[in-house]
This record gives sequence, C-alpha cells and structure tokens, in this order.
Amino acid sequence: MTPTRSTFAGLSTWEIAFWYGLIAVSTAIFVWGVARLVLKYRRGRGPFEFDRPVARLRRMAAVVLSHSGIKRRDPLAGAGHFLIFYGFVVLFIGTVILAFQDDVAKPILHWDFFRNGFYEGYSLFLDLFGAALVVGLAIMAYKRGIEKPFRLRYWRPDRTEGERERRRYVIGDWTFLGVLFFLALTGFLLESFRIAETNPSFEVWSPLGWSVGHAFRGLGLTGRAAADAHFVQWWVHGVVALGFVASIPFTKALHMLTSSASVASRDERAGRELSPLPPDAKPDEVGYGTILDLSPRYLLQLDACTKCGKCHAACPATTSGYPLSPRDVILDLREVAEGALGLRHELGVPPLHDPSASILGDPIRPETLWSCMQCMACVEICPVGIEHVPIINQLRRRLVERGEMDPTLQQTLESIYESGNSFGEARRKRARWAKGLDFEVKDIRKEPAEILWFVGDYASFDPRNQLVTQTLARLLHGAGVDFGILYDAERNAGCDVRRVGEEGLFNHLREENVAAISSCTFDRILTWDPHSFHTLRNEYSALGVDWNVIHHSQFLLELLEDGRLTPERPLGYRVTYHDPCTLGRYNGVYDEPRRVLAAIGAELVEMPRSRSNSFCCGAGGGRIWMTELKRDDAPRPSEQRIDEAVALDDIDYFVVCCPKDVTMYEDAIKTSGHQGEIELRELTELVWESLDLSAQVTVGGRDGKEEQP
Amino acid sequence: MKIVVCVKQVAVLGDEVEFADDALDVDPDYLDFALNEWDSYATEEALRTRESLGAEGDEIVVVSVGDRQVEDAMRRCLAMGADRAIRVDGPGSADPITLARLLAPVVQRESPDLVFCGVQSSDAVQAATGTVLAELTGLPRVAVVTRIEWDPSAARAIVHRELEGGLVDVTEVDTPALLTIQTGINQPRYATLRAIKQAEQKEIEVVSPAEQGEPAFRVRRMFTPPKEEGAQMLDGGPADIARRIKEIVEERLK
Repeated sequence: MTPTRSTFAGLSTWEIAFWYGLIAVSTAIFVWGVARLVLKYRRGRGPFEFDRPVARLRRMAAVVLSHSGIKRRDPLAGAGHFLIFYGFVVLFIGTVILAFQDDVAKPILHWDFFRNGFYEGYSLFLDLFGAALVVGLAIMAYKRGIEKPFRLRYWRPDRTEGERERRRYVIGDWTFLGVLFFLALTGFLLESFRIAETNPSFEVWSPLGWSVGHAFRGLGLTGRAAADAHFVQWWVHGVVALGFVASIPFTKALHMLTSSASVASRDERAGRELSPLPPDAKPDEVGYGTILDLSPRYLLQLDACTKCGKCHAACPATTSGYPLSPRDVILDLREVAEGALGLRHELGVPPLHDPSASILGDPIRPETLWSCMQCMACVEICPVGIEHVPIINQLRRRLVERGEMDPTLQQTLESIYESGNSFGEARRKRARWAKGLDFEVKDIRKEPAEILWFVGDYASFDPRNQLVTQTLARLLHGAGVDFGILYDAERNAGCDVRRVGEEGLFNHLREENVAAISSCTFDRILTWDPHSFHTLRNEYSALGVDWNVIHHSQFLLELLEDGRLTPERPLGYRVTYHDPCTLGRYNGVYDEPRRVLAAIGAELVEMPRSRSNSFCCGAGGGRIWMTELKRDDAPRPSEQRIDEAVALDDIDYFVVCCPKDVTMYEDAIKTSGHQGEIELRELTELVWESLDLSAQVTVGGRDGKEEQP
Repeated sequence: MKIVVCVKQVAVLGDEVEFADDALDVDPDYLDFALNEWDSYATEEALRTRESLGAEGDEIVVVSVGDRQVEDAMRRCLAMGADRAIRVDGPGSADPITLARLLAPVVQRESPDLVFCGVQSSDAVQAATGTVLAELTGLPRVAVVTRIEWDPSAARAIVHRELEGGLVDVTEVDTPALLTIQTGINQPRYATLRAIKQAEQKEIEVVSPAEQGEPAFRVRRMFTPPKEEGAQMLDGGPADIARRIKEIVEERLK
C-alpha cells in the first residue's frame, strides 16, 4: 500500500462540488471583508504613505517571523504566540500544498507527489506543528484565564465600572482561541478516525493521529464505524475552517492582516518628529476633531490593535491613576471608526457614529488627552507599530485650537509667546545664573566659540537647576572648553510646546531660535536639557539647518575619555540611574551616562525599569505646566520611581541628567517619604565631585550651603 | 449687529526699572508690551455675545490708538476672532481724555450697537477712557460690568455691575450703549500662534488722528519714591517675631 491519502475519500461527486461551492462563498466573503476595510481606511485624510516598499516589507517579515515585539516583557506570551503562529502557518501551508496537489498537480500536470517519503514527512511535520498550535493556545488560555496579568484586564482608568461595556471583547478573545482550538482538535480527530478505519502502517508518521487512532481501535471504533465518524468529522472540520476564513476580516483574527500591514506601514520617526500643520491651515484643519481627520495609516493601526495591553502596562499615566490608557484611546477610536465607516456603512445600515461628529468629549475626553506625558513608552512597546503618541498629539492640537485647555497651561503658553520662556521671566534674566561664576561666559552672538551651549528654560531659571548649570559651566571652563551662550536671544526650544499641541507656537519659537543660532559661529551645540537636545537635534532640520547637537552626558564622556577631565579618585558610591524619555527612548542615548558613571567610579545598580523601559517622571508632554489630573490616592509617577530606587537597597544617589528630572525627583524624594534614604544628584554634580572632593558644598540639596545665584 | 471694542497695548514692567534721561517716563528698554488684560476680557465678551446670538453678518471691530507697534495687541484680538481692526495713528500712551477724543470719531463712524472698553489699563490705571468716550459719543454708559444680557430686538440690555463688598448692581440700559468690562466676566480664549500669524496677513485700517485738543494733564517727573525711614527688622524665631508684630500692631492701634 502506497503511503498517501485521498483528500475526498468517500465523498460523492456532488458532495465534492458542494465543497468547492462552500470554498467559493467563504473566499468571496473574505475578499469582500478585506476590500471594505481598504475602502474604510481610504476615507482617512491624506494619502497612505508607503515609500521604500522593499525595506518596509523586509522589516515586516523580520518583525513577524522573529516575534521580536511580541515576546518583550512577557516571554511566556511570546512563546505562546510563537507556537500558535508557526503552528497556524505550517498547517496553512499544508492545506495549500494539498490544494495544489488536488487542483493543479494531479489533474493538470499529472504529477502525483503526495505519496511515499513526501507524504510521510508531510504527515510528521503537520502533526508536530498541530501539536505546537494546541500548546500555544493552551498558554494563551492560561494567560487570559488563570494568570490574568494587569495588561489583559479590561479595567480602564478613565471610566467607572460598567460605564463602558467590554464584554464583546472578552467574548471575541475567547471565541478566537476557541475556534482555533476546535479546528486543531477536529483536525486531529479527523486524522485519528481515518487511521482507525484501515490502520495503514505508514501512518505511524502521524504520531498523534496514530496514537489516538489506535486508542479508537482499542475501543472498537474501526472499519465502517470509523469511516462514518471520519465522514462527519470531515464536514465539521471543513465547514468550521471555511467559516473561520470567511470571518477573518470581521473578528479578532483580522490582526493577522492588519497588524502585519501596520508593522510594514508604521512611521519609524513616529512621535519623535511630529508632523507639521498644513500651510495656512484653517481651524478645522488643525489636528484631529473627527474620525475622518485621521490618516489612512492611523485608521489601519486602530484595527491592528490586538488588545495585548503592553502599552496599558507601560503607560505612566495608566499606572498612576490618570484617566488615560493608550490602549483604550485606540480601542475607543476603533469603535468610532468601525461604527462610522465600517460594516454598517457598507451594508447601508445607519451608522452607529456620525462620521463628521466630534470625537473630542465623547468618546475621547479632554482630561484623557491632557494626561498623556508623550513619553513614548506605549509606542516603543507596541508590537504592532501603533503610534499612540502622535495620534494623541493631533487630538490635543484640536483642543488647543479650540482653546479647551487647563488655564495654567494657557497662561504658560501665553508667557512663552510673550517672554520666550515658560517661567514668564524677563528675557534679560535668562543668563542671570552666569553672574554667580567667577569668570565671564562668552556671548556667542558676539564672538565665535567651539561649543554653543543651549541652556534651556529649566536649567536657566529654576534655582535648583541653576546650581547644576553653574557646575557644568565651571567644569567646562576648568577643562578649557571654548563655549558660549546666546544670553537673552535664546528661546524655549519648543519640545514640550509641540507635544502639548501648540504647533504654531512651536514654529514661532523654532524660527526665533534658528535666526539666533544661525547668526553664530560654532562647531557643535551642547545642552544638558534632553528636551532641548531632542528638538534641536531632530525637529529643527525641517528648516534646513544641519547642526551637530550633543547632550552633556555625551560631552562629559568625551572629555573624560580624552583626558581633558581626570577624576581624582573613584567615588565608590552605589547609584542608580534614571533614563530621561527624550534622551533614551526618543534618541537611544542609553550608554553614555552609564559610561560616565563607570569612569568616575560609581557602582551602577539598575532599576527594574531601565533603558527603553524607563518610567517617565510625569513632567513630559507639557504635564509639568498643568494642574494635577490623577486620582488622589495614586502615587505620582515620580514617587513610584523613587520607591523603585529605594527598593534596590543602599543606594546613595538617584542620578539624573535632565533638568525636569531634577525638579520632579527632588520633590518626589520629599513627598514619597524617602527623605534621608536616598539623595538626588545630577550627573554633572558627580563628575564635579570626582574631580575635586572639596567641591561638595557647591552642589546638591543636603547641607543647605549651596550658592544661590 | 456690530460691537466695537476699544483696546490698548500696555507697557509691562520687569523687576528692574530705569527712567529715561528726561525723567518723564520709564526707559523703553525696560518695558515689554502686551494687550491690556481688561481688554482681552472685553474682546472675549464681544465674541461670546456674538456666539450666543448666533446671527449672521455680525461684526466685531477692534479700535486702538498708537503707532505701528500697537498692532501686535490688535492682532491678538483678531486672532481671538475679531473681524476688523482700526488703528488711530496717535499717541497711544496719552491721557484718557485725549485717547477718548481720538477714539470718538471712529466709534461714531462705525455706529455700533455696543461699545466695550476695559474698566482700566494695567499701566496707567486711570479707569476713565471709556467714560469720557461715552460722554463724547453721547452713549449711555455702564461701568465695571460683570454680566450682560442683551436683547438686540428690544434694544435693551440688563447688565450686572460689580460694587464694593461683593454687592451686585443690576441695571437696565438702552442700546446703543458703552460698557466698561471687568476682569472675570469670562475666561478669555487662547489665541493660537497659527491664528496670530494668520492675523498678521490681515489689513489693519489706519486713520489719521482727529483734533486732540489740550491734554488733560502732563507728566512732570517720574522717579522712584525715596525709601522711608523707620523700617524695623525683627530677629529671632517665628514665635518671637509673631509676638513682636502683635505688640507693634496693638501699640499702633491705640
């Protein structure tokens, strides 16, 4: 007996014809379902950008095949998905091979390859991957049903219990798992009944089917009875499989298509470089106010969400009692998009949402949008490439355009426009900190210098930060660095103004800074403010400037490595380091500050959340200019962070390298009740201390002897 | 329906001040300029009045006195939503009577249904321009308005005035009328930079000044008042200082 099997064994001609009819119906529904999605996305504003298609598809293949995003921060879920994915893919390929054999190779090419060694290998392969699928599904069922991690719960911080019905999501999740499990199970039973019927010896190559088939034979299920069971199972498995195919564009299974497409089409600069306003924009062209304002790419991304909740768990707002979850922003928008432009629209049923109705207020509440710190934790962790941060930014732009914002924020924006800084201080006071030095800081507007130091608002005006700024100035001066500052020509760089959603003011500030900086002669721009660093480095080039912008952590490392700064002796402190969002996640500068700490002999103990998983201090995205929005009983992000650092045991210093971090964490050390257990140091202060131990009195907040500028 | 809003660009002092060589004014190097706070409330109130009536063809006209520089403040009003701006090319920092004489012909030419002025300007704090302007234009005037209920078809408005000690005076006034608007009547909207930039494209009508007449007063000298003697510095802990202050206050009250 030749090792092979007949796909349609025991089926009459009309039954086979009926089967092909079902395939046609199923395929037609699938194609229609996908087509109506494409039409839905095309209703978004602007074109669907897909430049460099080869590179994009290569990226998609790499991300999808390697599961690089899915496995992050949850290896078990990654493994579960990996098994399901490869199980599903191999079984799908197996079906394609079978179809090729039955519909092309045999009838047209007269080529019968589905036998002997090929058949045996095929059998083994599919049996193993079928088993992998089942194991993967079991892992996912365990995660959802037993482990129930925070990220998979549909609790949301912006609605009270019962205010938003999410039962449909739960049903959808379990149906998806259930249908896949049912297909795997019926596939194995089908195989087992077939083997039980005639028990051919070569079927040992289907080890699972062989074992179960033999068990059936042991129970007396063989011959005719097994053949009947096989017949019934054949139709059950087949019809459910075709139903599943037809349902893909309408259920959670859709993510197979949309998530891949989203990974391919996502903007790699998402959130890092926000998009400009259209020239001469009218108020209703500023930002997003209706679902039709979203771009086709964003509409696709809404459908790409798998509700994995990685963003929900990473978001500093969600986990600190702010009324925002990035996951729920996406899911709410998805419901509006589907309700306004989706299936009901295609079927001619009145839509659930008016496509031209405002999405601000309901379902997206202003306080939700203002809770966002634009820290990029969600975008960075999203395995399917959803761009929550620029979407939230666009929605904020419309709120700003309508003037619907916190009065303190409005006041800050007005003073930034009037005075050029967020403190509302007179322009000529910007360089007041330099008066506390015993040397003159060069005015780079008047004479050239190697380094143009862009100081930034917090580093210029905030008293605690002025100490750091002065220390850095002394350090640069001591190392013989030729540097100068812009004095009162410097303006707020606009990073947070842009992230708040006041794009016009950002443009204005950018123009003023470009005009001031372009008239100076220098090699590089230095700043110790990561927000200024980010924006000068990435968001000014749109005006055609090409500057080499460095963060002081990079420059200090350079000075230490070049021997222009020489530590006197290792500090020997046990320290932990907080990655600023705009330095780390935004710009990938993770190593330089750590190498500076190593060079000055500090022992670095990492917090559980470090590098790309760093936890925002709570000041980002302009939140530092707004009143509190979080629940009273929740600890602030900065307080949670200090708790995290203190839990490391015996940490001398919490090291930061961002002025807003200095402000936020000096405060959080006091309010979290850890005063005396840990102290804050800015990186510069430790470098200074390593050079000259007698300098300790000029830095830090401990001894109260610090110089007030 | 037409509302004219008279606005002023005010000088804002930093914490350092020096006087000009002639000692008649502050050295302009030490001044920043901004839209007078009361006038931003007046502009907002005009916009809200229009929005609440929802009528087509309504117009809000901003009028100011000064050189080109005051156009910055006027553009702020245009960015908030005013339709048109007229600048009287005269001395913007003149006394209230002179300013009212310069504004009056423009207001009369526009013949609006309502004229809004801020109660006062934050730099000069005379609180007189609106009142003089009402007199010169023959309009009824209500000062320090905190609420307006206007019925254009009946040409009548019921307005609330803020009095001392939290009292409110509710007055009925026939329109056209001039109202001076108090801060807190509303929350002025944010003028986005996009709107301010676009307002820069808008033409601001410039009219030559009318006859100014004699100024109401002249500045003779501006100076920092000499420090008074008699300041007493208290030393010691908070409790000691508090006790001393109590003693001093009781002593003075005798």
